[in-house]
Amino acid sequence: MDSPMHGIVNTVKAIVMDKNATLDARGLMCPMPIVHLAKKVKEMKTGQILELLADDVGAKEDVPAWCSRTGNQLVGTETEDKLLKFYIKMK
Amino acid sequence: MTDKFCMVVSEGTFDKAYMPLIMGTTAAAMGSEVHVFYTFFGTKLVTKDQKPKLPGMFRLFTGMFQKRMNKVGIPAHDEMMKQAMDMGINFYACSTTMGLMGVKESDLKPGVKVLGAAAFLKLAGESKTTLFIG
Repeated sequence: MDSPMHGIVNTVKAIVMDKNATLDARGLMCPMPIVHLAKKVKEMKTGQILELLADDVGAKEDVPAWCSRTGNQLVGTETEDKLLKFYIKMK
Repeated sequence: MTDKFCMVVSEGTFDKAYMPLIMGTTAAAMGSEVHVFYTFFGTKLVTKDQKPKLPGMFRLFTGMFQKRMNKVGIPAHDEMMKQAMDMGINFYACSTTMGLMGVKESDLKPGVKVLGAAAFLKLAGESKTTLFIG
């Protein structure tokens, strides 16, 4: 799915995805990205967007699961090779 | 209403030490109220100055495995237990086991509470999930 349209959509997404904070969980294996995520979220305000970086294979399913369980909204994801980027809107 | 998540641990090896901490911290991160009940040989894991080893022949590889875990962000057992307590996870030692094995309350790690079977079963009955870890 590497059409020019895909590239444009991604660029637009990147511009629109104005993040308020980044949590770098690269190098951490499940469950640590989620544990650190829960901790970080306590410092954030409703409506803010947190960017979470992870390269753990488990994170792909862990993060959406965490979001659905806690009522926080996963508003975007990006994959760059092994690097996973999640954009979570705080409830 | 917060979901309750209970675990029972009856063995004292390295793997059984980490399983409730890993699952417990994840559940707590997802908003659950976590209760972990240690009984029989699991009591070793909530007593001071115990160093759990991998089971059987693997005991020799404990140090190496621990290093690998540290590398991916999973802390040492005591440290992770403290983190778990900070997240509100409840750790209990079985009162009967303590009596039978001569474990005193002062032998328990700080923050570990004492609980009996009936009280634990009440928690388990109210839980969405109860797991027997080992």
